[in-house]
Amino acid sequence: MDQQNGNTKKYGMVIDLDKCTGCGACMVACMAENNVPFREDDTDKLLSVSWMRVYRLGNGKPFPQVEECYLPRPCQQCEGHAGHSPCVSVCPATATDYDMRTGIVSQIPTRCFGCRYCMAACPYHVRQFNWWDPIWPDGMERMLNPNVSVRMRGVVEKCGFCFHRYQLATDKAYLDGRRELEEGEYQTACAQACPAGAILFGDLNNPTHAVHKIAQPDSTHGGRPRNPKAFRLLERLGTNPKVYYLSSKEWVRKAGDNQVQRTEQTPKA
Amino acid sequence: MDSALIPKGVKRCSIGQFALWIAVVGAVLLWGVWAMLLCYFRGLNQTNMNNAYGFALWIWADLAVIALGGGAFFTGLLRYIFGKDELKHIINYAVLIGFICYSSALLILAIDVGQPLRAWFIFWHANVHSMLTEVAFCLTCYFGVLTIEYVPLVLENRQIDRLPFFHNLTHNMHGIMALFAATGAFLSFFHQGSLGGVSGVLYGRPFGFRTGLLVWPWTFFLYTWSAAACGPCFTLFITRITEMATCKKLVKDSVVELLAKIAGWMLLTYIVAKIIDTVYWAAVTAPAMGLTLMDFYSNNPGSAYGLWILIAEVGVCGVLPAVMLVAPGIRSNPSMRFIAVTLAVIGACLNRWVMVLQVQAVPVLPFEGWFGYMPSWQEIATTILPVAYGIILISLSYRYLPVFPQEQELNPIEGGK
Amino acid sequence: MKIDRRCFLSFIVGGAAGTALSPLPWKITDDLSIWSQNWPWTPVPPAGETSFVTSTCTLCPGGCGISVRKVDERAVKVEGLKGHPVNDGGLCILGLAAAQLLYAPTRVRGPLKKVDGAWREISWADAIKEIAAKLADLRAKGQPQSVAWISESDRGTTAELCKRFLTVYGSPNYFRTPSIQDAYETALYLTQGQRAMAGFDVAQADFVLSFSSGLIEGWGSPAYMFRARNAMRQNGGRISQVEPRLSKTAAKADQWVPIKPGTEGALALGLVHVIIAEGLYRKNFIDSRSTGFDALKQIAGASYAPEAVSRLTGIEAKTIVDLAKAFAGAKKPLAVCGRGSGRIPGGLQEVLAVHCLNALTGSINQPGGVIAVPEPEYIDWPEPEMDAVASRGVQQPRLDGAGRDGFPLARYLLNRLPEAQTAGASAPVQALFVSGANPVYSLADTQAVAKAFSKVPLIVSLSSYMDETAAMAHYILPSHAHLERYEDVPAALGFPKPILGLSKPAVKPAFKTKYVGDMVIALAKAMGGPVAEAFGWESYEACLKQTLGNAWDTLVKNGYVVDAKFKPGEFETPSQKFEFNNPALAKLPAYAAQRAPGDEKSFPLTLIPYDTMRLASGPIGSPPFLVKALEETVLQQNTALVDVNPATAKDLGLSEGSAAVLSTPKGSARVKVHLFDGIMPGLVALPRGLGHTAYDKYLAGKGVNTNALISPVEDPGSGFEAGWGIRANLTRA
Repeated sequence: MDQQNGNTKKYGMVIDLDKCTGCGACMVACMAENNVPFREDDTDKLLSVSWMRVYRLGNGKPFPQVEECYLPRPCQQCEGHAGHSPCVSVCPATATDYDMRTGIVSQIPTRCFGCRYCMAACPYHVRQFNWWDPIWPDGMERMLNPNVSVRMRGVVEKCGFCFHRYQLATDKAYLDGRRELEEGEYQTACAQACPAGAILFGDLNNPTHAVHKIAQPDSTHGGRPRNPKAFRLLERLGTNPKVYYLSSKEWVRKAGDNQVQRTEQTPKA
Repeated sequence: MDSALIPKGVKRCSIGQFALWIAVVGAVLLWGVWAMLLCYFRGLNQTNMNNAYGFALWIWADLAVIALGGGAFFTGLLRYIFGKDELKHIINYAVLIGFICYSSALLILAIDVGQPLRAWFIFWHANVHSMLTEVAFCLTCYFGVLTIEYVPLVLENRQIDRLPFFHNLTHNMHGIMALFAATGAFLSFFHQGSLGGVSGVLYGRPFGFRTGLLVWPWTFFLYTWSAAACGPCFTLFITRITEMATCKKLVKDSVVELLAKIAGWMLLTYIVAKIIDTVYWAAVTAPAMGLTLMDFYSNNPGSAYGLWILIAEVGVCGVLPAVMLVAPGIRSNPSMRFIAVTLAVIGACLNRWVMVLQVQAVPVLPFEGWFGYMPSWQEIATTILPVAYGIILISLSYRYLPVFPQEQELNPIEGGK
Repeated sequence: MKIDRRCFLSFIVGGAAGTALSPLPWKITDDLSIWSQNWPWTPVPPAGETSFVTSTCTLCPGGCGISVRKVDERAVKVEGLKGHPVNDGGLCILGLAAAQLLYAPTRVRGPLKKVDGAWREISWADAIKEIAAKLADLRAKGQPQSVAWISESDRGTTAELCKRFLTVYGSPNYFRTPSIQDAYETALYLTQGQRAMAGFDVAQADFVLSFSSGLIEGWGSPAYMFRARNAMRQNGGRISQVEPRLSKTAAKADQWVPIKPGTEGALALGLVHVIIAEGLYRKNFIDSRSTGFDALKQIAGASYAPEAVSRLTGIEAKTIVDLAKAFAGAKKPLAVCGRGSGRIPGGLQEVLAVHCLNALTGSINQPGGVIAVPEPEYIDWPEPEMDAVASRGVQQPRLDGAGRDGFPLARYLLNRLPEAQTAGASAPVQALFVSGANPVYSLADTQAVAKAFSKVPLIVSLSSYMDETAAMAHYILPSHAHLERYEDVPAALGFPKPILGLSKPAVKPAFKTKYVGDMVIALAKAMGGPVAEAFGWESYEACLKQTLGNAWDTLVKNGYVVDAKFKPGEFETPSQKFEFNNPALAKLPAYAAQRAPGDEKSFPLTLIPYDTMRLASGPIGSPPFLVKALEETVLQQNTALVDVNPATAKDLGLSEGSAAVLSTPKGSARVKVHLFDGIMPGLVALPRGLGHTAYDKYLAGKGVNTNALISPVEDPGSGFEAGWGIRANLTRA
């Protein structure tokens, strides 16, 4: 369906883990862009809100064979089967939606009433709850971005691929009399900020876009990458995410999904 | 003092003793209310839930009480639809327990959501694809049904019954009770199932996910079936506890045995289905997602989620009570019967526990570890709150309403009127 | 009317039914939910006109171009400037969080004076008058040299203004905070005769050998190094990281060679040895463009044969030989040193050894090599008129001994100042200005530093924030925050080309602050006489505009001027060649691996501080977003975690998450244990940038300041700070 309709975008990311340095710039760029709250003690990562999180992966070997890799994890914007992403279908109040035009999973904080079913549904832990009222120290609320509303206590929030930037970009294109966005005209805050240039963002449906060229999504197999260096997190679950990762290291690629030992020797055709 | 309110022909403790009892339970209730207010005014940071444990003790309590409250719909179904007339001697109590369970579930849900003031969005902005939506609608409707079923019992209070209007109302309501029993069974089938679907549809969570029939995962049917099996067990369990507390026989053994026998067969069929489901899940569903059975039961801190929990749920609290209740020799022994229904109740609770808590404890991303969770006192207090409320409602109902039709016969008062 | 029970009940039931059927409950329900969506205590950012201000980041010496996004007069976010030669749109984590620094609760909102231990507000005029009077006093007493100034940099108009002030006032005691740059600049001067900054053309190299340098952990110009590293790897280049701990740089390198800390220089000499022994050096460079090759041969003689170096460094001899061959065999090899972000100091010989390694392969002033980037020359002010007091004062020896006595090579030795201040009966520093630096936090052995500073009768902090040094000061004359001011950025550290950036005010100053440059001009004017005459500018902005001349317009528009066609100059040594045998080199004591201070019996382990991009460890304290972005293996609640090898932890009876006490000869701290296979046994690693006592609640009291646990180590010969660690012990708490 996506292929037939020229207007249907499928915004996605390719994150090159060989380039990623684990510096955390993407996390902070995201926090600053999206008015993510912070607390005096934000060290418990399970209570902290961070739409982007950089995981630290190890190869599990002892000194000195140990290796590490850093894996930034935004919302994977799962398409599932035909937009049936794990979280969208479970939300009882339609507070989250899979946008068929862009492929972006939205989250409406004022609609959400905080049942957290979506959090239980998401295997990537991208959905986080506002356990506390968001509070900015006196004066610091001046840095809040008016394009993104601040979320109140008691609701779930998550990365939406900086959807407000898509709106701004399309508004601008419209005023310029254009119907299509140029590649790069709409970028997420993390892709823009990454000092290592590890995050590429674009339309996976558009064969001229870098993300499409690199990931080479196989639409006949639920978007599975054809690039042998590319993988998606938890490919086997069928979540059909739109975030592709690249790594030249096999152990990293394997760390992206659960492997049943016996059947793992031969990759499925 | 309140003797005018007490049903005729039965003996109740003194009002002072009763007040003391209510005060003690009431204190526990107030503790729960305090915790509830903390959760409302300070937010859910009062709990020990976190971003990996969005569903925790409360959701478990919800699922458990609804499963155990299933005794109401199933007993009603047997009594009114399948014509097991003998069960009329226990139906009142089954309805009362169901009423308590369902109202408790609604109360807990109202605390559990982050924005209780807009909890009604679940109806207004309903997403028909969500299992929770189905749960919310059916649960609310069925709670209405339970209220209608409970009201006639309230109206049978000696003083209220004196008023002709209420007397007639009660009479007429009894007349159409079959209709409500059928409605209740229908609604229960769906919301019990939907609760099973809550974890069964989570295809991002291999521990909970199940394949199924059309839009319903197998857990949908298993939950309905297990509620029908364990709900009556809970009714029997509470009945026995009540008998122990009041030092009276309240329901005749024949009635109890009949219900126990049916529950036993339900449990046996359920557990067979559950075993088939587990085997299929372990052998086919989970490996397709890249995980083996032992991935779900090993390498977690303190072996909190070891294979023992599966054995406990399916074996000790599943097969064992099913066999005990099905075997006439064991079933007829009151102590053994009590052990069996207790095990069945624990089994249902364990099943709900793993399907809520373990689903989230199991690491799905290969580079994450197990997630631990220990409820905060506020969560525990708010979970005990409905228990206290239930005890109070049972105490009041028992004291002032003719809950047990056989009580008078089984406990003749010396020199009675 | 008699109200009976029936009537009452009817009333209640009827009333309830009527209310339920009325719109009231529905309206209330709806209103409550709308209220919950608009809680008054959840802020709503006001909408407004969006605009962008092109500027240069001054939070570190990296010189990145930034674009400040504004909504009306609010600075909402700082982003990287696309097309900027240093960072091309990317930006580091600190730069991205910059708006939090601008609006930080820890900003000093106006001039403060400490009266009886408490801060009191004071007007700018009074503050400057009082300080000027005290300075005039010292001058009158003939002690102008007792005034010292500490700053993060000695380049650019701001630093020049401060230096000029000290000069006409009569003090030679301007200090730059220590970093590996001291050694690099000296090495370039000694071997190439060039007064220059070291630039590193990582992007064009094809083999980078890094001696514990955190290439992607803040070393050099952080964002540039990220890009350059990618570019070189994209072209098939390889990186070998020699480091005791699997840092992020090591993890992302093609090869990680664990090395005993402090022996990096020995390894460099070992590689020199192998390259010479096997004749792998570039003969054309050695023969035609260098002199004194024999001197190098001698230095890297038999004592640096692979087996000997293996014993020193803990690296297998074969690995050393392979590494040497790989390095010499590469087309464009480049060796870099300077631990972590380059702020963990290192000795001169270590840098010289690495520099000689580069020379052996001809990687000097060549594409892909070390580039001598000339110091900026755009500041061309007339020499100030000096009066007799000033002339006499500047002739006095520097308090740290730099440039004289035992340390002829050094320009600044701030590390030696604390001891100088406390050693004698009278304290030599009578007045101290601190701008853009936080020495009470960032110098080794903070307790000794604090003690020395407590002996200064007048400390004037020019910090924008209430940092540790400001907290100790007598006056705080707060400067504008970095997004509120003009400032020239004379170079991008480690960038291989000369580049001049301009930092522009993105927003109007929020508080009663005054930029350092303006403060100096105002203070000079308040002093009167020749001091005032040396500062003819009306304001700092006027001074800057005049100084930058023709470049001003371009800088305002683009934010930077880069010399794209830059070619490194010729060697400026007397021989016009690369000198392995500079006479000053010959005077240096022979290289010796720098031992960690402390006795090995009571302190069986070694503590090494490490840098992470997620913590600012320089004069700027980490804003809340950075602390929030820390991994849970670095900080848990207020306790820092130390990296310990599992084998070492087992010996100590410690496991993951164990509470422990980390003790060194300088102090002890409570920490938690993180088992990490990526660290050599026997070491304990602790992140730099934590353990602040000042700043706000988002930073203060979290973790441990490594500088409080380590002690300064003086590099023999140069006098530079060379302490990279200290002996330590870790016990179960």
